[in-house]
This record gives sequence, structure tokens and C-alpha cells, in this order.
Amino acid sequence: MATRIGVDIGGTFTDLLFYDDQTSDMLVAKVPTTPASPEQGCVQAVTDSVDGDQLRQTQYFLHGTTVGLNSLLERKGARVGLLATRGFRDILEIRRGDRDEMYNLFWQLPEPLVPRRLRLPVTGRVRSDGTVHIPFEKQDVLDALEIFALEGVNSIAVAFMNAYANPAHELAAESALREAGFSGEISLSHHISREYREYERTSTTVIDAFVRGRMSNYLRRLEADLRGAGFKGDCLITRSGSGSMTFSEAEDRPFETIMSGPVAGAEGGGELSRQLGLGDLITADVGGTSFDTCVITRGRPTLLFEGKIVGMPLQTPWVDVRSIGAGGGSIAQVDVGGLLRVGPESGGADPGPACYGKGGENACMTDAAFYLGMLGEGKLASGLQLDLALAEKALQPLAGKLGYGMDETAIGIMDIASASMADAIREITVEQGIDPRKLKLLAFGGAGPLMGTLLARDLDITGIVIPPHAGNFSAWGLLGADLTRATARTRIMRLDDDGLANVNDILAEMYSDLAARAGSSGDGGEWAREAGLDMRYKGQEHTLSINVPGDNGRVTISTEQVREIFTRDYDRTFGNTMDEPVEIVSIRATVRHALPRRSEGLSALNGSDGTHTIREAYSFTEKKRMDFRILDRSSMQAGDTLAGPAIINEPTATTYLDANWACEVHGSGCLFISRH
Amino acid sequence: MDTLADSEIRIYRALPGTDTGTDADPVQTEIVRHSLNSAANQMKRTLIRTSFSPVIYEVLDFAAALYDTKVRLLAQAPSIPLFMGTLNFCVEAAVEGSGGVDNLEPGDVILYNWPFGTGSHAQDTAMIQPVFTDDGTLVGYSAIKAHWLDIGAIAPYCTDTKDVFQEGTFFPGVKLYRGGKLVDDIHRFVLANSRMPAFVAGDILAQATAVSIGARNLVRIVDRYGLEVFRNTVERIFDHGEATVRSYFEKIPDGRYVGHGMMDNNGVDDKPIPFNVIVEVRGSSVRVDFTNSPEVQPGPVNCPVASTVSASRVAITMLAGGNQAPCDGHFRPVEIVTRRNSMFDPNPPAPCFLYGWPAMQSMEVIYHAMSKVNPETVPACSGGDLCALVWWGTRQDTGEMWGDGSPFPVGHGGSISGDGSTMMHAAEAATRFASMEVMESKFPWVVEQCQFVQDSCGAGKYRGGMGYDLGFELLEDAYCTPTLERTRTRPWGLAGGGEARANSGTLRYPDGRVEAFTKATGLPVPKGAVLTIHAGGGGGYGPPEQRASEEVEADLKEGYITEAFAREHYGNL
Repeated sequence: MATRIGVDIGGTFTDLLFYDDQTSDMLVAKVPTTPASPEQGCVQAVTDSVDGDQLRQTQYFLHGTTVGLNSLLERKGARVGLLATRGFRDILEIRRGDRDEMYNLFWQLPEPLVPRRLRLPVTGRVRSDGTVHIPFEKQDVLDALEIFALEGVNSIAVAFMNAYANPAHELAAESALREAGFSGEISLSHHISREYREYERTSTTVIDAFVRGRMSNYLRRLEADLRGAGFKGDCLITRSGSGSMTFSEAEDRPFETIMSGPVAGAEGGGELSRQLGLGDLITADVGGTSFDTCVITRGRPTLLFEGKIVGMPLQTPWVDVRSIGAGGGSIAQVDVGGLLRVGPESGGADPGPACYGKGGENACMTDAAFYLGMLGEGKLASGLQLDLALAEKALQPLAGKLGYGMDETAIGIMDIASASMADAIREITVEQGIDPRKLKLLAFGGAGPLMGTLLARDLDITGIVIPPHAGNFSAWGLLGADLTRATARTRIMRLDDDGLANVNDILAEMYSDLAARAGSSGDGGEWAREAGLDMRYKGQEHTLSINVPGDNGRVTISTEQVREIFTRDYDRTFGNTMDEPVEIVSIRATVRHALPRRSEGLSALNGSDGTHTIREAYSFTEKKRMDFRILDRSSMQAGDTLAGPAIINEPTATTYLDANWACEVHGSGCLFISRH
Repeated sequence: MDTLADSEIRIYRALPGTDTGTDADPVQTEIVRHSLNSAANQMKRTLIRTSFSPVIYEVLDFAAALYDTKVRLLAQAPSIPLFMGTLNFCVEAAVEGSGGVDNLEPGDVILYNWPFGTGSHAQDTAMIQPVFTDDGTLVGYSAIKAHWLDIGAIAPYCTDTKDVFQEGTFFPGVKLYRGGKLVDDIHRFVLANSRMPAFVAGDILAQATAVSIGARNLVRIVDRYGLEVFRNTVERIFDHGEATVRSYFEKIPDGRYVGHGMMDNNGVDDKPIPFNVIVEVRGSSVRVDFTNSPEVQPGPVNCPVASTVSASRVAITMLAGGNQAPCDGHFRPVEIVTRRNSMFDPNPPAPCFLYGWPAMQSMEVIYHAMSKVNPETVPACSGGDLCALVWWGTRQDTGEMWGDGSPFPVGHGGSISGDGSTMMHAAEAATRFASMEVMESKFPWVVEQCQFVQDSCGAGKYRGGMGYDLGFELLEDAYCTPTLERTRTRPWGLAGGGEARANSGTLRYPDGRVEAFTKATGLPVPKGAVLTIHAGGGGGYGPPEQRASEEVEADLKEGYITEAFAREHYGNL
């Protein structure tokens, strides 16, 4: 039992959720983000919403932020120097030779984070088996440091070839830098990642060096401000690879927090699935500009082990959240070939959709939805009243070009948006060998509950879950993010008894590395250990990651059993298996410290004014306009049922319940929607 | 494909639009178009994740596509652009070879690799699965052409073959799966013809799995909308692609634009091969004319017509396709004319192992022609090659045979949009080369260097991308087939921009001797030797004297150019 606050800083709004464990009360707030000093907006939101006594009793502050991400997007970070193996200083620019837009003849590589003059060579070469091919030359490091000093470099990234196999040269470079008096930040590639692929590891190391100073300043200021306001508990931040870490650990491994923001919703999906026994889920987080989706299996979001930000790879665990440019602000247009397109361009929040009345002239998805009556009266939480005449005016030219009626045009926009979201879901599920029809859809974000029944129709999904405070669900997701630490090593070997014995030796080393990350402050409490193996058939390159059941992080099952698990997952993913020998490529270790459990569920909502009104809206099921019941979500009690067509309003979102769908209010406050 | 043939000249056009489909719903059309592209992407991902050869999972040396029953391209996953729209020849020939449409049944997978039908060398083997709905109606084809590591030729990779029969084993449209069951006789026969049967067996399974994923998805799409709606919609998708490309050419002044280029040699004798391609724009249509091509060559640089057609389509679509995933409609405004038994339309048994090299050069030459319309239309010339290396050998400790092949980037030309970058040739735009650490964990070498070379770029208002040196130090004896092209002609500049360094290769033996190479089959590279490719840069765009002085200073400061280069091209500093 522990009272906690979750604050999720997004591009436009900062969302807050306070959860009082004594009373199970939940409190929601939304304030504008203050990009210049996001910690101010954050602390403001906290002190405005939570009184001093409550704050003093709060045990956890959980944070999701785009500070690291923005630092990369805006290129505001440290002045980084890179020490590279002699002959490889241009890795960041030669990359793997790929381009982001394959059909674009004019594509240009974005400027690397470290300019060429600050990428300097160091003699010394390690082979893939860890043996030394050319000895390390300390003098090169000292020569480089002179240049760095002249150029004002305050953060040095060291990334040598095959350092994943033997880090001796990187460690030698670090001591040489310190001996010579360098007092700035140093990022060593083997601390960041013990997996192979030099470009990806170098890119991650450079990102780490780039965001380190800014991130740690931000976290320190935020923590100091919170302390100043009376907060005495623990400060945690979400990781790109799920779970959370303490602020002090994040200062040391800032690259692990780059995707801190979008991951919170996926985390929430995992928690809800575990709490309510919902089974496997697909999340549909629809905001203003993007649609984010993630698969939750066995109560956890699917993980990848490499991510990418503005074309730069990061070799770190990464919750597999896929984004496409489709959301409430997505602009609809008729293209040169005469087809209707929706997105990826977005009207954003300002001017936003035409119906916002802020000067936007492009028809956006929200205009279409509002025109069709799907948003009811169109009163937004911020107090904004949507303007039907403006929506109509924006839709008119499209209807003209298409030779369509107004309704047809708006329906088309909704259908296209829904279909592209459904395709994204189909790709993310089918490529993992998962049949989307067997999963429930968890819809949240400002426009998620609007799209729920449309998406379910396109995907032949029969069950939808809408959490309470659907528009703030990401902040709720933060509240349950367990503390986690993870590491991986590339070590290619046969899957046999010797191999597994090796795995256990390496795991033991990895767990002691992870424990060392706690630093002097130590870790109270119980940490559960989890082990995973990346495996493949001998001869393949790509691997499948499997979780290996074991005893406190040791693999105790037999070689045959490990192979069985691999074979089963391979068959599920690709629909076939082979007789080839199986290889282990990487070993993964995770430790997890669960936060004290919250009481079950999300707590019911207050208020019970049972009145509703009737309003005409378009039904996609009946393919005509018809009467919809319009009611307030706060008027619905646990156990209530409601048959569509209906529109359910709450301050942060609108649920569109089409005809032939029915909803039941679960004890947790979730709406469970199913086909009638 | 419409073939108007007289004795000499052949004209290739995509099937024209029909009257059906005009009433198809534009919303449903957009949805179906998305779904088809998404289905092709799923084929690609499956193939990448299950294949055994780097040439497939890393180099993406394959094409994955869906076709309708008239063998028109519905959707193709982004992989090697050069393969864009080549599979229709394969599908037609494979179906015909295996006994015609009436002889197809659900679950069949046909194997086909005859170069004069695929457009490629024998290693590029196509698998085609006819797609049937549950009620037995044929609705299209799911097809993948992928590079197999070895399928029997005089060497795993060849640069000096004299006829096609030295280049591999051929499968003229045989059923590898019949009604969903593997035909074991064929499977054993295929593997018996490979130096690396384990790799090939793995890739065969991966390829078959991926075509079946495509088939399953196509059926799902047809079932969802019904066959009639699907067919109508598809017509509308094609019309849409056509309109996109036409709207580009409408803005190009009518005229006849001639591009010039030169191949280094044909791999057998050492004479350069100059050639030209004429791009003729009339209204919203474009004709790419190869009738002036050189005679069929005695070495393997002949380009079977399917690849001549696809190289033209890629070049045009990358310019005019609005950055969209291509379909058959994009090809409608494009007409390709060849002369029979020439380098760009050879007859059997002409050798064609290096068909991709003239195909790639033809793209550069088509862009050269387009630059005559207006230099802003295209970037200056790139290094113009894949700088590909194919390796093999026998491991000392295990005695196992190993093999690998990979293309590498080149500098790209400057353009009106700015300086060029260093990346894969446009013909292989989606491709990556393998991580050097991954290579070292598998193959017996240590990479000596991979870094830019000063002054290797073309000077210009916008300079070209950098060339670089990539060297491999061998830890065991091995063989290499390097395939360097464009070693004799430097990448050209545009609108007054300068030329860049051309590609070259050197082999330094353990005793210090250094020898140059370009193309060679099975070059022995002994333990301790270092083989280096010196990849070319990109040509410059616009007069160098117009380059902003701070840009020149930055180039100097970052070490992209030397002071001597700056003085020579940019004048006083």
C-alpha cells in the first residue's frame, strides 16, 4: 500500500494522477506543458493538485518525460567528443549505408551528433573473440584530449570495435582521460551495451553522452523542487524498455529513458491486464497527432532490443510501441491521383482541427467525427466548444473534389483513419504470430475511445476495454511501473549442456553488475531475477528472444526443455520449425522490484446524475444517421449495462458506442464493450 | 505486358487502364491499397527474420510482391528497388513453364530462375504461389525472387562467364510444393546443386513461408470486400498510380533527352563499353529507348530485358512516383524500347551473371538524360556501383565451407537540395551492409578500416558525398569475387559541379606487394593479406565558386577536404 503521484509530460499537456492508497481516491489534473523548464510545470501541477499533507505522505513520485527525447529532437545537449578505434571514426556517418526514405533520390543524412573533427582515432584493436589484435596506444587518447579541451568538449563517448567482447581498451582510455585531468562526463560503450553491432552501440553511446548533462540537471532540479514542496518519498522515472528506475540511476544511464513518455500507456495496459485478468491485449492510444499501439502478452508489453529516434539507433530494451501519423488532428486531403488521404500531416493542437475555431482551415479527423455527431455536443474538457459550421466548411472542398456528399466524405475520413490504424495493429500482431481477433482492444488517449468500435469492426475483435480517465490513462500507467534493471551480453554458442552451464556463469556476473548499479545508496527490498535468451537456428542471423523459467535467475531446466520453448515460440511466430542445431546469441538479465501493490482496479467514478439526452449521429454499423443516447460517464455505476448506440462523455475523452455494441461497467470503473 | 514485336525492336508497356473500376469507391480503394502494401510488408518481414543468408536478411537481395490474375503488380514491399516490377515476367513464365493456369492448384509453389524470364542471374530464384480463395477461385499470385547463396556455377559469384550455362542450375517452372506438400525429388535435386546446401535449404523454407503469408493475406483482403469490389478497387488503385506519374511528366517539357554512360568492360575482354539511353517525353508519357545499345557482349554484363524494363521503371518511379509504394499503374505512362540481341535485350545463351551492373548504369544514364531537361531534376552522379564483394572459403578448424556477399555504399551526388551523403546506390536503396562486428564474429577476417578519404568528393556549390576506404585483413586463406564497376569513369558533376574519385580496389599481400583489381572471379586472398575497396565519391552540383565560404571552411575543419583541394576548386581562401 503506497500513495503515489504520476506525472506524464507530453508535448502539449502535462498530465497528473494522484492516487491515495488509504481511500483509493484518485485525482486527475491536466496543465499546459512548459517547454522551457518542464520541471516547473510539473511541480506546479503537483502543488496545485495535491495539498501539503498529502504530498508529505506520498511514497512514490513516478515520472514520464520527453526531456531526453526533446534534447535529441532539438539537438540541445552536451558538446560531445568521440574516441573511436583507428580506422573507424566515420561509423556515425557511413552507418550501414541505408537511407530512411528509399524512394527519395534526394534524401540526405541528418548531421551526426558529433562532428567529424571531434571524432578522433585511437590505436588498438580487439578481435571478436576478445583477443588483442593491436595493442592500445595511450598517447592517442592524450592527443585527442588536447583537441577536445580546445574545442570545449564536456562529455566524451568512447566506443571501440568489439568492446562488447573485451572492454579492456575502453577502460584504459577512461583511466588515461581521468589521469590527464578530464573531469567531464565519460560514456563507455560497453557500459551502455554488451551486444555486438558497432554502429548501433556507438550511436547509443553518443546519445548517452549527449543527453547525460541535461538529463541529470533536469532530474536534480525536479527532485529538489519536489523536496522543497515537502515530498519525502522515492523519485522514479519510466524506462524505454518498461519498468522504472530511480532518478540517481537515470542520471547514470540516461539513454534508457529516451522513450519514457510513450511507454507509460503500454505499462498501464500491462498492469490492467494483470490486475483484472484481461488476458492478452492490444493497446490503441489515439492522441492529437499519432496513434500508438502495443501488444500486451502475459501481462507485459512486448519488448524489442533496439529502438530508433530521428534515424539514430539505440541499442537498449525498447517497448515495442508502433506509431503512425493518425490522430484527431490528422489532416484529410485529396491527393494528386484523386484518392482521399488522412494524415500523416497534422494540424496539431494549434491551430488544430477547423472546428476548434483557432484558424485551422484543413479538415481533420476530429472535424469528420464531430460532423457525424460522434463527439456529441462537442464540449471539450478545456471548455472549448467545437463549431459545427467550421467543420462543415473545411469538409466541403474535399466533398467537391471527390464528388461525394458531406456525410460520405466524413465517413470516408473515419474509415480511412480506422483502416490505417487497423493495418498497423495487424502488422504488429501478425509478425509475432498473434491473431488479433483473439485479443481485446484497450482504447485510451483523447481519441482512443472514439475509435474503439470502428477499430474492433475492422479487426473482427469482439471485446473492447475503456479504462476510466481514458484521456489520462498514460499517467495512470506510470503509477504501476515496477523498478527494473536490465543488461545483455552477446556470446555466441551452441545450445547444449556446456552452453547452458556457461549461460549460468555469465548470468551470475550480470546480476552482480546489476546490483552494482544501485551504487552506494543500496537497494532495499526484494528483487526478482528474470533471465532471457536470444536464440536462432545455426546459420540464421535474426534471433527470437525467449524468457527462460528458472530459479532466481539461474537456468535450471534442461537443454531439451530450452530447445522446446524455442521451438514452440518459433513455430508460433513463423509457422514452421527446423531440425538445425540451435545457437544462443545473447543472454539477457533483468531484475525487478515490484512497487507495493495498489488496491485492485481504478476506483469507480463519482456522481450519479442518471439523465441523458438524445442526439442524432452516424452509425457505422447501421450505415445511417440515427438517435444516440448521450450520457455522462460519471452517471454510470458498477454493474450498469448500456446498449449502443450511445455516446459517453467524460472530461478527458468521448466514447463512441456504435449500434449493436453493448457496454457494461466493471467494478474497476472500466467499460467492457462487446458485440451485442 | 504488351509486346509489339517486329524483327528487331520490342516495346514494353504495362497493360492500359480499363473502363471498370472508375466507379470504385475512393475510400475503399485507399483502404485496400493500404492493406495490400501491408500484406507485402508482412512477406518481407517473415523472409528477413527466418532466412539464413546475410544476402537476404541484411542485404535484402529479394523482391516480395503480390500480383493479380492478369499479373499486374498490386503491391511490392520495399527491398531492392532494382527488382521493382520484374516479377511479372517471372510469374508469367513460371506459370507457363509449369503447365499453364489450368494446371495450378491451391498450395502449389513454383520454382523458377531462367535468367531470360527473371531478368536476373540464376541465383535469383523465384517462388510463386497461385492464390485461391476457399471456393477455388484464382485471385492472384504471391511471389518472391530472392538471391540464393549458391546454386552451382563455375564459382559462387562470377565475373567472366562465357554463356549462361556456366552460371548455375536452372528451374524452368517446376513445382516445389504441390497442393501444399513439398515435392521431395525436386527439393533434393535443388540442394544437390549447391555448394552451401544448408544455407539454401534454410532460405528455401523461409521463402516458402513468406509467400504463403502473402497468399493468406491476399485471400483475407478479397474475402473482406468480395471479389467484384476487390477487382474494381484494384483498377482504381492502378489508375491512381498512373495519375501520379502522369502529373509529374505533364510538367516536363516534351523532348528527346539523351544520356550517356560507359561500362568499364564486359568481364572477359577489357574494352570499355560506351552506351546511351534516350528518354523521350510526350505529354504525360515517357519512352525509355535502348535501341542504340551495344551488341550483345561475350562476357556476363548482358541485361535480360526484364531487368532493363525494371531498371527503367525504378529510375522513373523514384523521380515521378510521389514517394509512394509502386503498383502496376505507376508503370503505365512508361514505355521501354529495346533492340533484340543487344546488351539490354540479350537472347539465350548470352552470359548475364552481372546483369545488375548494366541495369544500374542504365539508371544513372536515365538520370543523366533527365538532367538535360533541367539539372534540378536529379542529383549529380554517385559512385555508380555497389562495390560488392563475394567471399568464400573453408574454415581451418571445422573444414566447413563458408560464404558471404555484400554490397557497400558509395558517395552520392550533390543536388539542388544540398550536399550528397554516403549510402547504397539508388538501385539498392533499402539495403544495408552487415555490421562489421557481426562479420568478424562469423568470417575469418579483421576489418582494418572503414573511413572517409579526404578529397574523394566532387566539388560544387553543393559537394558530393564522400568516398571511403574499407579494408579486410584475412586471418585464414579465402577467395573473393570483387565486382567493381565504374573504375574508369569518374562520377560526373552537374550544373558546373566537379567530378569525384572513381572506384578502385587494391590487394596488399603479406610480403608487401600491392596489386590493383576491379572485377575478378575467385581471387585468392591469402592469410595476412589486406583487400581494400576504395569506394568512389559523389559528383558536385553547381559551380564550386558559389559554395559558401563558411561551408568550404567547415569542410576543411572537419577534414573532408585538404587545403590543396580547396585552393584548386574553391579558389583563394
